[in-house]
Amino acid sequence: MVQVEPLEEGEQPQLATRTEGNTNEAFHPNLYQMAPERVPALHLNLPFILDDLKTETSQKQLSTARSIMKSVDQPFLPPLDKATHVEFLLSPLDEGLSGGFVGLDASRPWLLYWCINALSLLGKDVGIYNDRAVSSLKPLQHPSGGFGGGNGQAPHVAAAYASILTLAITSYYASIGLPEDERLAVYADSFAWIDRGKLLQWLRKIKLPNGGFKVNEGGEEDVRAGYCALVVLALLGYDDEDLRGDLSRGELPLLDGVAEYFKSCQTWEGGIGAKPNAEAHGGYAFCVLAALCLLGDPEEALSKTLDLNRLISWLSARQYAPEGGFSGRTNKLVDGCYSTWVGGCWSLVEAAANAIESGKKSTKMNVGDLWSRKALIRYILTCCQGPRGGLRDKPGIRPDYYHSNYVLLGLSAAQHYYYYDDVSVQSPVLTKSPFRHGYRWKSSKNVPKPTGHDGTGGGWLEGLVSEESDRVGVQHPLFNIPLGAEGQLQSWWEWFNDVGDVDALSSEN
Amino acid sequence: MASYDSDEEVDYATDPAWAHITPLPQDDGENPLAQIAYHPDYVLAMSYLRGVMAINYHSAQVLKLTADIIGMNAAHYTVWGYRFKTLVALEASNGFEDEKTNWSWRKELDWVQSIAKQYEKNYQIWHHRQLIIDHLNDPTGERERTNEMFASDSKNYHVWTYRQWLVKRFNLFDKEELDTMELLLKEDVRNNSAWNHRYFITLGRLGTDSPADGVIDREIKFAKVAISSAPQNPSPWNYLKAVLRKGNIDLASLKAFCEQFAPIDSEDEIKSSHALDILSEIYDETGDFSKAEQALVLLAAKYDPVRKNYWRYRKRLLGSSENVPTASEKTPIVHATV
Repeated sequence: MVQVEPLEEGEQPQLATRTEGNTNEAFHPNLYQMAPERVPALHLNLPFILDDLKTETSQKQLSTARSIMKSVDQPFLPPLDKATHVEFLLSPLDEGLSGGFVGLDASRPWLLYWCINALSLLGKDVGIYNDRAVSSLKPLQHPSGGFGGGNGQAPHVAAAYASILTLAITSYYASIGLPEDERLAVYADSFAWIDRGKLLQWLRKIKLPNGGFKVNEGGEEDVRAGYCALVVLALLGYDDEDLRGDLSRGELPLLDGVAEYFKSCQTWEGGIGAKPNAEAHGGYAFCVLAALCLLGDPEEALSKTLDLNRLISWLSARQYAPEGGFSGRTNKLVDGCYSTWVGGCWSLVEAAANAIESGKKSTKMNVGDLWSRKALIRYILTCCQGPRGGLRDKPGIRPDYYHSNYVLLGLSAAQHYYYYDDVSVQSPVLTKSPFRHGYRWKSSKNVPKPTGHDGTGGGWLEGLVSEESDRVGVQHPLFNIPLGAEGQLQSWWEWFNDVGDVDALSSEN
Repeated sequence: MASYDSDEEVDYATDPAWAHITPLPQDDGENPLAQIAYHPDYVLAMSYLRGVMAINYHSAQVLKLTADIIGMNAAHYTVWGYRFKTLVALEASNGFEDEKTNWSWRKELDWVQSIAKQYEKNYQIWHHRQLIIDHLNDPTGERERTNEMFASDSKNYHVWTYRQWLVKRFNLFDKEELDTMELLLKEDVRNNSAWNHRYFITLGRLGTDSPADGVIDREIKFAKVAISSAPQNPSPWNYLKAVLRKGNIDLASLKAFCEQFAPIDSEDEIKSSHALDILSEIYDETGDFSKAEQALVLLAAKYDPVRKNYWRYRKRLLGSSENVPTASEKTPIVHATV
């Protein structure tokens, strides 16, 4: 008979604390002995039930679980090797890429975004890249509006998304600590050249009558396109009137039917697919949840549009033991990038679950974590760090820039508490924006444990980082850029839409 | 001059056939970040493509040029898009018939399939195929092409997306489709993509319409047989729940079936964590909260411990299910136009 632990709030402290390494062990024997924690049993054993019937899926799963089990079984969690990862990520920016990367020639803005955002997560000041980001992205703006994946390429919504995010990050860092007028000048250089009118016209061309979006003219329809389009709209300072468009000219209101479209992508499994009837998939789940949370507060956006309980059940089933990481679909293997695509969904659904329970009890409630932060952290630190820098899908697979960003972003989701702040006061302009809810996210290092049924109790979850040097930066849970960058960008648009005199700004300086 | 379907190399810079095109260089901006050190062949071909696109030139030559570029970078959506436009333009001008061109939609589809086998994770290839088949309005042989892809990766998302489009576009909700899914699930009963497609063709496509007589029963039986062959496989359990929901059948009707795989008082005989999960829901619905909790505790402690926090949350919700409205009872967010 198994030892049945009570299903009570919080978890036992599970992380092994690390010592300073061999030298320190010798000098501080007590410190060494102070690391008594065990590797949680769930990482040390294969699942209790394994079916006899073998198929390709079960064999792949079993061999993956077996090999990962060896990696996660480390009494001392390895540190996040920031210096080596930084080196890996700086190389494309400083030295460029070899010809072998030609397959990413239609994803140039993505390369910038992945590397720059990952570097910001690792604590690097990426403001030094602002000018070069601007000069790299300007040739990607298409004469008819929008951004292509490279110079001369057709506009594509994912290219616009990655371009805007990159500029939002570098201008944020470049303007930290600057006086107001200089800060505005940085943003003017980064954003005033974007033809927002043409971009809007182009977005109307990829808007579909079913409420969704295509990725480009003549391209495929999926929820990724919808998410990218909404993020671009939310970060470029458009007002309600811009989004509605001119009906007399036959322009479709850009947000019409989009929530209903996303709703139609929730599948029989409870997860979310690329488009109606497509298989539930973590990447598309994130796109839909984040996009919906741009349009409403989490409770309204998620529980009223989706079947939240079935969604949570499906999301929860993505976390595997002994691996600790997330898979993207039912019966598929874990992959480090789902640390973001699935891991990033949790703060959104937990905010909704908290609001629902608070509403029922008429007092502030916290349902606590619905997932295991610690198991994901263990998977990332033990399995996703490439020995020569960069982060990866799983052991044995080469690190790349995409995984580096999304593994670190997922680590940020696990190390920080992200919550929806419905009380702080927003600017008058923002309160009129359809995306105002997207600007209400905050973070805390303290992760609350669940409150009891009367709203009391709780406390904080301990031991998410063994040392502060393992901590990565805070990110906005919908935009996937450093938290705070969205607010600075928004205040620039408010100034620009109001004053609009960029020349005066630069002559002052 | 090289024929358009050959692998023969064309030197765009010196070939007289290309003399009327002015190559346009790429502007990467000043001191660009993450610049790619392209192979000279790619640089040359791309500058001719920009030249071709600038004058909106569509000829058989463009087929060779775009095929060259796709051979070096299959994810180049602009090139795929331009190639499709060129194909349509050639067809309209009877350009396929030209003996030097000697091209056809069929040749195009065969070429696309060969590219697809080289680059499995690619959005553009299958979208291109979709555009062509839509244009030809003829799905002949297409299911076989996707079956070939499933032989090497039976869960390829792009291929499945294409297959769904195909079935919907040409109304292929037929026995062949159902048989294929049965075959795929026979090969690997854990192929969730095949389960997803099966749901689509049997129930998902109906939207809010009711299924034909017997379909719900047939699907319940199918899922139950699959569960019996491997009770810890999540796919058929999820499927079973979805079929019941579609058929408006109470979850509690599964009680005996689930208890067969998860007799919670004889722990050693528990063969499925998914059965425990459903049982906790059933016990909750029928007011047997202590048994519901017992199932959740077993899941947290033994059968699915990485999800302990989730099972704890489920415990928190016990007894409240009647208070939780389903999505359909609620008002969706509507962004009305004024």
